Amino acid sequence: MITYVLRRLLLMIPVAFLVTIGVFALVRLSPADPALAFAGEERDPAMLAAIRKEMGLDQPLPVQYVAWLTHVLQGDLGRSFQTRQRVVEAIVERIPATLELGAAALLISVTLAISVGILSAIKRNSLVDLTASGVTLAGVSFPNFFLGILLILLFAYVIPGKIFPPGGYVPITQDLGDNLRRLVLPAVTLATASLAVNLRQVRSSLLDVFGLDYMRTARAKGLRERTVISRHALKNALIPVVTLIGIQIGAIIEGAFITETIFLWPGIGRLAVTAIPSGDFPVVQGVVLVSAFSFMLTTLFVDVLYAWLDPRISYGNATG
Amino acid sequence: MSGTTVPIALGVPRSDRAGAIAYFARRNPRMIIGGALVLMWILVAIFAPWVAPYDPKSVNVTDALLPPSGTHLLGTDDLGRDMLSRVIWGSRVSLSVGVISVSIGFFVGVSIGLAAGYLGGTFDLLMMRVIDALLAFPALVLAIAITSALGPQIQNAMIAIGIVAIPAYARLTRGQVLAIRARDFIVAARTIGSPPLRIVLRHIFPNILNALIVQATLSTAFAILAEAALSFLGLGPQPPDPSWGQDISYSQRYLANLKWWMSVSPGVAIFSAVFAFNFLGDALRDALDPRLRRSA
Repeated sequence: MITYVLRRLLLMIPVAFLVTIGVFALVRLSPADPALAFAGEERDPAMLAAIRKEMGLDQPLPVQYVAWLTHVLQGDLGRSFQTRQRVVEAIVERIPATLELGAAALLISVTLAISVGILSAIKRNSLVDLTASGVTLAGVSFPNFFLGILLILLFAYVIPGKIFPPGGYVPITQDLGDNLRRLVLPAVTLATASLAVNLRQVRSSLLDVFGLDYMRTARAKGLRERTVISRHALKNALIPVVTLIGIQIGAIIEGAFITETIFLWPGIGRLAVTAIPSGDFPVVQGVVLVSAFSFMLTTLFVDVLYAWLDPRISYGNATG
Repeated sequence: MSGTTVPIALGVPRSDRAGAIAYFARRNPRMIIGGALVLMWILVAIFAPWVAPYDPKSVNVTDALLPPSGTHLLGTDDLGRDMLSRVIWGSRVSLSVGVISVSIGFFVGVSIGLAAGYLGGTFDLLMMRVIDALLAFPALVLAIAITSALGPQIQNAMIAIGIVAIPAYARLTRGQVLAIRARDFIVAARTIGSPPLRIVLRHIFPNILNALIVQATLSTAFAILAEAALSFLGLGPQPPDPSWGQDISYSQRYLANLKWWMSVSPGVAIFSAVFAFNFLGDALRDALDPRLRRSA
């Protein structure tokens, strides 16, 4: 097991290295001039040349990359061109909001997927199952920004009483009730993106397990159906779902960019989206880098968890 | 009766691809529904100038914010532009992004996959690390990053979505190549001295085409959704050009005034186009590649 984790970590190094090259290249190969974006209204050629020199843009690309990577490894992602705030600071300030939204969405998605998935697998072709299948089918094709807008339209404007506000954020520490009230619509929007896939996975892996011999044995020895399902079926059927949750982390990170934009939720996704039009590259670069690394680490964590939950998984190849 | 009559087994699927599709279409209404919707959107996109009742960009302030009616079936926006015409013209953007970005992903991804799978060794190792690095980014985040670096334009959105689609093709192709490269007919081709390029293109590629067709259909659905998301964030076509994602984003400012048709029209268009390609892709998977069939 330890060998497996180490091996995975080692394999991650070249990938992580390539990711940093990619993120660096994105900005440096862009046709837009970072010095112009940094200078704002300043158009004096001598001034621009000075800025270029100060930013190291006159150096060859490999030198620029090494300098940039050294700073990144020291936790320095540069400063925002717009606000001059340190990018790391800007990201750290907004991470709690993103985490809160992501965690709420994951909770809604997983709870609903597991409970409805179990119901629809047990009562195959019932009304619940058919509705769930319909939702699954539609869910994978439904743009979540459209869902967000429909939810705002319904709950903030059409239904009398204005149950939920159309957007905005209040920190938990300031007003818990208002925080939660504002969390509902964005969390549901974000959850729906992954709900469809999770639901389908829970249902189909349960149906796979239902056909196995030990299920027949459990029933044959006279166990109650409830015990058969909770003790025998679920335990095994939920293992693939763990992996899926890992994949959904990616969906939640990318969904956050859009959901946060619709609901004016001050997380890192919105930070990047608002930085794009003004050409605030360090901010975009920082958020993309942080997203990629969080995604890589959660994927690794989930894979390890999966291997630990299911001893049948071989730890890589036979020699590994 | 003469003894030369050959008995014909009726209802047995023919082995050719067209036959397989026809056989499943009869038993698989999903293929017909998905296919019909896809065909409808393609026709709408091609014939947009003739189908659209109005010019999608012509401003007519006296007709602003009209709800759906006989003259404007899907209503008008705040500048009096006909929503139906904008949805119809928007399909051109979505479908062309779908086709072009999927072509980029297909061509690059399949080439990488074929080469990596057939050559193996260091090339395979290097290429797969590059693919891993692409997969390390959440797909849409990568598309957003690339488009924002290249500049918010439809061509750049196509390139970005195309790049994001590469890993799926590369991995699928490589896996399939590894599975069949040890088969007898490949070994035979090698033995008679066929050059590697000929083996890959004439013997391997046709054998993995079914799986690739399924992947291409499903990734068109992803591309349309991704383009809509990029446009929604302002990274696609720029105003006043019609685009579904951008029109939804624009409509947000009129939600409080309950001008729902401005959001609902392009939203339903995105949903139906993505749904059509997903539906067709799933049905094609059942028809062309039974090994990939899901139990769900």
